[in-house]
Amino acid sequence: MSEVIQRDTMLSYITGSVESSAESVAIRAINERGREDLEKTPFPTRKDEDWRFVDLKSITKSQFCKLEEANAAAVGDISEHYLPEAMNCRLVFVNGVYNEELSSVEDLPNNVIVGNLAANADNNSVKEHLGTITNYDDDVFAPFNDAAFTDGAFIYVPEETVVRTPIHILNVFTDAEKAFYATPRLLYVGEMFSKSTIIEEHIGLADNQYLNVPVTEFKMFTGSNVHHARIQRDSKKASHVSRPIAILDKNAEYHSYTICLGAKLFRNDPRVIQNAEEVNFTVDGLVLIDGDQIADTHSIMDHRFAHAGSHQLHKVVVNDSAHSVFNGKIFVAKDAQKIDSFQENRNLLLSENGKVNTKPQLEIFADDVLCSHGATIGQLQDEEVFYLQSRGLTEQKSRELLVYAFALESVESMEVESVEKLLLNEVIEYTNRDEK
Amino acid sequence: MSEELSDGVKELESMIGEEYKYGFTTDVEYEDFPKGISEEIVRELSRVKEEPEWMTEFRVKAYHAWKEMEEPTWFNATYKKPDFENMLYYSAPKKKPQLDSMDDVDPNIRETYEKLGIPLEEQKMLSGVAVDAVFDSVSIFTSFKEKLAEAGVIFCSMSEAIKEHPELVKKYMASVVPVRDNFYSALNSAVFSDGSFCYIPKNTKCPMELSTYFRINNMESGQFERTLIVAEEGASVSYLEGCTAPMYDENQLHAAVVELVALDDADIKYSTIQNWYSGDENGKGGIYNFVTKRGICKGKNSHISWTQLETGSAVTLKYPSVILKGDNSVGEFYSVAVTTKKQQADTGTKMIHLGKNTKSTIISKGISAGQSNNSYRGEVRISKNATGSKNYSVCDSMLIGQECGAHTFPYISSENPSSSVEHEATTSRVGEEQIFYLMQRGISEQDAISMIINGFVKDVLKELPLEFAVEANKLLDVKLEGSVG
Repeated sequence: MSEVIQRDTMLSYITGSVESSAESVAIRAINERGREDLEKTPFPTRKDEDWRFVDLKSITKSQFCKLEEANAAAVGDISEHYLPEAMNCRLVFVNGVYNEELSSVEDLPNNVIVGNLAANADNNSVKEHLGTITNYDDDVFAPFNDAAFTDGAFIYVPEETVVRTPIHILNVFTDAEKAFYATPRLLYVGEMFSKSTIIEEHIGLADNQYLNVPVTEFKMFTGSNVHHARIQRDSKKASHVSRPIAILDKNAEYHSYTICLGAKLFRNDPRVIQNAEEVNFTVDGLVLIDGDQIADTHSIMDHRFAHAGSHQLHKVVVNDSAHSVFNGKIFVAKDAQKIDSFQENRNLLLSENGKVNTKPQLEIFADDVLCSHGATIGQLQDEEVFYLQSRGLTEQKSRELLVYAFALESVESMEVESVEKLLLNEVIEYTNRDEK
Repeated sequence: MSEELSDGVKELESMIGEEYKYGFTTDVEYEDFPKGISEEIVRELSRVKEEPEWMTEFRVKAYHAWKEMEEPTWFNATYKKPDFENMLYYSAPKKKPQLDSMDDVDPNIRETYEKLGIPLEEQKMLSGVAVDAVFDSVSIFTSFKEKLAEAGVIFCSMSEAIKEHPELVKKYMASVVPVRDNFYSALNSAVFSDGSFCYIPKNTKCPMELSTYFRINNMESGQFERTLIVAEEGASVSYLEGCTAPMYDENQLHAAVVELVALDDADIKYSTIQNWYSGDENGKGGIYNFVTKRGICKGKNSHISWTQLETGSAVTLKYPSVILKGDNSVGEFYSVAVTTKKQQADTGTKMIHLGKNTKSTIISKGISAGQSNNSYRGEVRISKNATGSKNYSVCDSMLIGQECGAHTFPYISSENPSSSVEHEATTSRVGEEQIFYLMQRGISEQDAISMIINGFVKDVLKELPLEFAVEANKLLDVKLEGSVG
């Protein structure tokens, strides 16, 4: 007889109950499902393989309340965070709540929808796809979002439509008296042969503690194409656990780039699912962390049909006593022949107290494939530093330049110029931090 | 008067002792050894083996530790769990049925022997045919023994070592693989049957490869084998276990523990060829091979190298590891794992870097064919104090056929900014262009494939002792025959 051990659930760290105030019946149904999952799924511990290396103390040592109880500060002027390319194509969410005043959506091609979920709850695409794409086994965070969200962003791009303006989804978090939780949500539906660029940003305006649990769902129909940049600049006391997932029909292309700069605890589980033959996708990441930050990426590239090209480049720079974890899984199902998948994880460990765990993982059930991964953990080469010094740079400057160059590759994949610039400044600030 | 009495007692004592010494306990009694496991059984086992008190206590403690542990399930294999209560934990040394000539041997086995090119006399020994007087294995065996003794090398069975060299066994046993290390190591510690003990004294190079020794004296040591090899300062030894010939065994579960200890400047090379019965086409039967193998580079500049060729067993879970504790120590792991039919192998290594400037190399080649599953699972850990350490790992998998699977689970962690870890892995199949190229040069398809596969595993097989490398190549051919095309 083994004893049944009562384990904590996500609800143990939430004050009060998670109740839905959504008006839409469809959203309430998802809320209900999420609540059921939450109650029966135990909160992960280090004994769970997927959470082995992560210290979840910044969640488990706190209590998070509803936004209404947190006494959050007003948002103020955030125009410095607007992207010049997307001045008229922006959705702003303050602490997870849609803010119509700050948002601006104009001059979009016919029938393109960029708006909030609550207002579009009766849209057929929302009814059909919302909540159907996320699928995380034994997870507590996606169900938590399911249970608690009442609104979110909704983007719909109709057939053979190209949205040339980047679409900016700006999530900002303000100071608050109490630690609160937020559950941003994004549903993207790209019809056949549509194309767009999405910039999803999370910015902490103050230095407060909060829990940010976003879920993004991408439904990509035949031949659709998306460039999805995710920039995480949460407050350095915040915890951010995100669940971005994309499902791809034939000839679809989905390219995602996750840049992690902020948060005390960042956990990201990107997942791309191949739903038909001949798709192409990217799951890149750049992580620049220092202090006592923890950044953990658990990605899955799920090849279920033949003919796919997929690529993942995950770059990490660790300083001070920061800790980076990476687990990249490449699945190739039986009969999913002719898969060309490549995964690369490069870690730069710069400090005595930093720590890097990496586990690139291949699970292959088809024989005619070319799948490979590479992982390295290292530091700057003395020869390279010496070379730059011989050109007249100080050692400090040489090291900064090399770290900058290391991060540059990931930043250059950004399609939007202002985002690239913004990130370059962030990289420079990170590399020059010792100069101050 | 009192003298007479004491003499009598002595005589009596010596008689009692003699009884034990020659094992008057009959076969019948052994067969009565009940199935299942309990503290009494463990004590009884120890008593039958005439072990000293401390060993009995070691076993009993291990048994209680095992009792509290849970059977692991984290590996990538599914199989019917062994029934520990329905297992015999001690049986008298098995006698193989004596056959009169090679004609009585199963033709399938004979064919395999021929393909492997095993000399006729050895074939007879392996299959239990009465050996001709001409083939004087005993005298060769004795001359080896003399040579080893001259060099001061202790090489004997574990049971012998427990009695004759208790101080060494006490000092090193379970020092590398603690009893509670895992479920199977705890079970092994409680009920281990026998195994080898090898001690190489200071600055001694073992005068011969211990592999050669096994060629002549192929020991049967049961399902819970325990091996301990200790190389003192400056000593070196090469050890090979197993055999290319297929081994049949009635015990389904094999849970061995192997421990290696290398002190300053010592060098241990441990090679394994495993070709146990892997079950039939439908995956019925076959051995479970759950082995705990670990070496510790305890001293400065020490070196441990594991080489393995895994082709047999229905389920293999095996992770030969090296703890690099001494500064400048080196750990190596070379592995070829071949799975066919419905075999499942989850194998790999652990390199734990603790000392400064430690280096490790991992070369792992997996070949899966049929409906088998082959996983590489490895861990490379660079601790905070292991400054200037380096690791290089390559694990390549080759898939043959559409129903097999290849998996890679490398765990890599580093807490040190002056160390570097490199890992790469690929999964692919035998290239059609490669086969075509060789075929248009006049080589048959089967030969072309075997050449490509031999090229794929060359980096590993070259680490095996020479005579085995040749056989290993043939073994691969036999194993994969007919799986391509």
